[in-house]
Amino acid sequence: MSKILLQVEDLCTSFFTRAGEFKAVDGISFYVHEGETFGLVGESACGKTVTGLSILRLLPEPAGRIVGGKIILDGTNLMELSKKEMRAYRGKMISMILQDPMTSLNPVYTVGNQIGESVRLHQGLRDDKVEDEVISALRLLRIPAPEMRIRDYPFQMSGGMRQRVVGSIAMSCRPRLLIADEPTTALDATIQAQYIALFKDIQKQTDVAIIFITHDFGVVANICQRVAVMYAGKIVETAATSTIFKAPKHPYTSALIHSVPRLDRKDDRLYSIEGQPPSLLDLPPGCRFAPRCPDVQEICHKQQPPIVEISDGHSVSCWKVK
Amino acid sequence: MLSIMPNIEDKTRPRISGLSRGARILRGLSLVIPATVLALMFLTAIFADLAWIGLPDVGLSPYHPNDQVLKERRLPPAFIEGGSTEHLLGTDNLGRDVLSRVIHGARVSLSVSLLVIFITATIGTILGITAGYLGGRIEGFIMRVVDVALSFPGLILALLLATIIGPGYMTVVIALSALGWAGYARLTRGESLRIRQSDFVAQARVNGASTSRIMLRHIFPNVLNSLIVIMTLAVGMMILAESMLSYLGIGISAPTASWGSMVADGRNDLDRAWWISTFPGIAIGAVVMSGNFLGDWIRDKMDPRLRQL
Amino acid sequence: MTDVILEARDLKKYYPVTKGLLQRTIGWVRAVDGISFTIERGKTLSLVGESGAGKTTVAKAVLLLEKLTSGSILFEGKDIYRFSKSQLKMEYRPRVQSVQQNPWSSMNPRMRVRDIIAEPLVVNTKRTKEEIRSRVLEILDQVGLAPNQVDYYPHEFSGGQRQRIAVARALALNPDLIVLDEPVSALDVSIRAQIMNLLKDLQDQYNLSYLVIAHNLATVRFMSHTVAIMYLGEIVEFGEAEELFTRPLHPYTRALISASMLTLPEDEDKGVEKIILSGEMPSPLNPPPGCRFHTRCVEATDKCSKDVPEVREIGQQRVKCHLYADPSVRSAVSKGPDAGPAGK
Repeated sequence: MSKILLQVEDLCTSFFTRAGEFKAVDGISFYVHEGETFGLVGESACGKTVTGLSILRLLPEPAGRIVGGKIILDGTNLMELSKKEMRAYRGKMISMILQDPMTSLNPVYTVGNQIGESVRLHQGLRDDKVEDEVISALRLLRIPAPEMRIRDYPFQMSGGMRQRVVGSIAMSCRPRLLIADEPTTALDATIQAQYIALFKDIQKQTDVAIIFITHDFGVVANICQRVAVMYAGKIVETAATSTIFKAPKHPYTSALIHSVPRLDRKDDRLYSIEGQPPSLLDLPPGCRFAPRCPDVQEICHKQQPPIVEISDGHSVSCWKVK
Repeated sequence: MLSIMPNIEDKTRPRISGLSRGARILRGLSLVIPATVLALMFLTAIFADLAWIGLPDVGLSPYHPNDQVLKERRLPPAFIEGGSTEHLLGTDNLGRDVLSRVIHGARVSLSVSLLVIFITATIGTILGITAGYLGGRIEGFIMRVVDVALSFPGLILALLLATIIGPGYMTVVIALSALGWAGYARLTRGESLRIRQSDFVAQARVNGASTSRIMLRHIFPNVLNSLIVIMTLAVGMMILAESMLSYLGIGISAPTASWGSMVADGRNDLDRAWWISTFPGIAIGAVVMSGNFLGDWIRDKMDPRLRQL
Repeated sequence: MTDVILEARDLKKYYPVTKGLLQRTIGWVRAVDGISFTIERGKTLSLVGESGAGKTTVAKAVLLLEKLTSGSILFEGKDIYRFSKSQLKMEYRPRVQSVQQNPWSSMNPRMRVRDIIAEPLVVNTKRTKEEIRSRVLEILDQVGLAPNQVDYYPHEFSGGQRQRIAVARALALNPDLIVLDEPVSALDVSIRAQIMNLLKDLQDQYNLSYLVIAHNLATVRFMSHTVAIMYLGEIVEFGEAEELFTRPLHPYTRALISASMLTLPEDEDKGVEKIILSGEMPSPLNPPPGCRFHTRCVEATDKCSKDVPEVREIGQQRVKCHLYADPSVRSAVSKGPDAGPAGK
C-alpha cells in the first residue's frame, strides 16, 4: 500500500451560536493514502462538509472553530501552521471543488483569468508563463480548445464545462490532496459519468489524493476505494468500498444502502429508517443512531460505542459488533 | 419539532454566534437605545400639553411655544455661563423657550412624517404589487408613472403647491406624498416580481387561488418585511424632508414650531446663539438615527425564519 | 379498455428568442417538440430526462402554469383547453394537484402549516372553518405528522416533514392526479425512502394517478408503471417500466441506465464498463438535424444525421431510433443493459 498522505486524528469542530454549541464534527479519525480516493458519505448536517472545511481551515470564523484533534498532511500538523503558512498550503498542497459550478466561479472574470489567479498566487510565474500553465490546466480537465476557452466567461459555458473549469482551478497548482464536496451533485447523469471518468483519469496522471464528499452511494461505489460513513458528527463505519456495499456492519450503513432504490431490480417497498437525525444541540448520550436503530440494545442508549477494527481496514462503531 | 441543524451554506441567517460579550451588549443596546429615543419622542409629542383632553395648562412643555419675552432674547442654555434653569435650553431670537419649542416641534415633525409614510406606503404598495404580479401593460403604465414621479423635482412641486394653496401643514403632507409613493411602488414591484416566480405562488395557482388572494395572502406578507424596514427608515427621511421644506419657508409657517423651521430661524444667529438651531438639529438627528437602527432590528424580528434562533 | 385519466397529444412549446430594440423574433427554443403520452387511473407515468429535456415544461402545461404553443391535453377524454374558466375551476383544478421539488420554497414562509394545507380547501370549496380544520387534521395524520404541529411555520420542520406537508396539501381536495416534480431529489437519502413509500401507499389507498418528473432512474423504476425517456424536447422511448429497464432499446436510454448503475471497483476489474457519452445535450435553440441524439450517440450512422427517425413499436415499447427501422435488426439489438450487477 502506498504512503499515508493525510492523517486526521480525533478532529472536533464546533459551531458556537446563541442557541448553544453545535458539535458538527465530534472526534473523527481517518487517513488517506497517496493517490487514493476516499469517500466521506452521509446525509446533510452529518458533518462531512465541515470536515472538509476543517482540513482546509476555512471554517466561517468566529462561529466555527476546530476545538481539538490533529490534521497531519505529509508530516505537518496543519493545526500548528500560522494563518499565513496555511494560506500558502491552500491551493498548492490542498485544494477544493465545491458543489455548485454556478456560484463557485466569478461571473465578471474570464475563465483564464480565474485559473491564472491561482497559478500566479502559488507559483509566482511571469505572465507569459501563466498562460501556458492555464492552458495545461484546462487540458488536464479535457476542456476542448483551451486556447479559445481561456477568453470565455463562465456564463458562456454549460454547467458541465463550468464544473470542469472549477476542476482546472483546483488542479492548476498540482495539489497533493483534493477535497471535492459534492462536485457531481448538480450535474446530469450522463455528464456526471463523464466527470467521474475524467477524475479517475486525472488521478492516474497526477497521483492526487481525493477526499470525495457526497451523499450519493452510487457515486461512491464508482470512484472511491475506501469509504467512511458519517452520522451526526461521527464516523460510524470505515471500510473498502465493496465491503461497505456487500458486508456493511453498522446498522446505519446497511439501512442507508437498503433504503436506496435499485436500478437493477424491482422493489415493491423500500426499507426506510424512521425518524430523523438528532439535533446537534441535543445529542443522545449513547450511540447517536440509537433512537432510530432497529437493533438497539440497552447499552446503546447509555454509552457511546468504541471504534472496533473488525478486520484489516474495516472499523465499526457499534455495540453489536465486537 | 425544531430542526436545529447548522447549515453552514445558509448565509441568510445572521451570524450572531461566537460574538464576544461586548459585541452582544452592543447589539442589545442598538435596540434599546433607538427604541427608547423614539418612544420618548412620541410620548413628548403626545404629552407636550394636554389641551387635547381639556387641560391646557398641564404638560411637559414648560412654556407655551409661542410665548415671546423680548427682553429674554437669546438666553444661553442652563449649563453654560449666563444661562438659567428658567430656560433649560435657552431662548431664541424672539425670547421663546427653545425646550418648549423642541417639545412642540416633535408633534409637527413626527405627525407629518407618520402621515406621509402611511399615505405613500399604502398607495405605493398597492400599485407596486399590482404591477409586479400582473405584469404586462398594467405594469408598463404604472412603472412609467413611477419613473416620472421619481424624476420630478420634488422641490419645485412643493414650491408650486405652496404658491397655489399656501404654505402649511397640509401642503407639506401633500408635497411629500405626491411623489413619495413612487419609491414604495418600485420596491414592492421588484419584490413582487421575485416572489411571483417562487414555487409557492405557482402552487397557489395550481390550487386555483384567485389573483387577489395571491396578492394579498402570498405576495403582500412576503413584501411586508422590506416594506417595514423602508418605512422605519423613512421616519427619519420624512422628518428631514419636512425640516427642509420648513427651513425653506414652504412648510410649517411661523409661529408654529417645527424642528425644521427652528433650525431655519436660528441660522442667522449661529455665531452668537448656536443653541437655537442646534437643539432641534440634535432632535432631528436622534430620530433619524433611531429610525435607522430600529429598522434593522425590526427586519430581523419580522421574519419567522429568523425568529427562532 | 384501460381507464385513461390524462392524455397528452402532440404537445409543443416554443419560446421565441428575441433580439434588438424591436424585440424581433430571431428563432425559437423548442423546449417541448411533439410529445404524446397517456396516464392511466391509479398508475404512475414518469418523464425522465436531463435538465433541458423539457420535462418540467410538460408538467407546467398539465398544471396550466404554462400555455402550450400547440397540442391538446385531454382529462378524462375532455380537452382542457376548451374548458371555460368556471369549468376549469370546478372540474380540473381541484382534481389535479402537485408536489414540487423543493420543500424549502414551495411553501409561503409566512403561513402556518394549518393554513398551507387548508388553502386548496378555502379556495375551492365552501366548507366551514370547522370542517376545514378537521379535514386538515385528518390529512396531517395520513401523511404521518402529529396534530400538534399544525400551528408551526414551515421553517420549523425538516426537509422530509416539509415534503409530507406538501403531500398533505396536494391531497386536501381528494384529487385524481398529482404531478410530482422531482418529489424526493431535494431530500436526504434516508428520508427519500420514507416519502416514496408514503406516496406509493397513498396511491394504493386512493387510486391516485401520478405524473412523476424525475432524473434519477432508480427512483423512477421504483415509483413508475410506465416511463417516458425524454431527450431535447422529444420522447425517445416509452414503455412499461419493467420492460424498459430490463430491455432498453434506445441508445440514450442505455447510456442513461449505464451511467446510473451502481458499479463497484471490482466490477470494473471484471471488465464492466460504463457507457460514457461524449459531449453535452445541444441547445434546444438549434436542435441537430435528423435524430436529435446523433451528436452523442455511439451507434450513429450517416442516416441519423439526415433523417428524423420515426416512432416504432417494438412489443409494448415505442422507440424513436433508426436502429429499429429494419425489422431484421430488432432482435439483434434487443439485449439488456450493459452494466453488470452490483453487490447486494
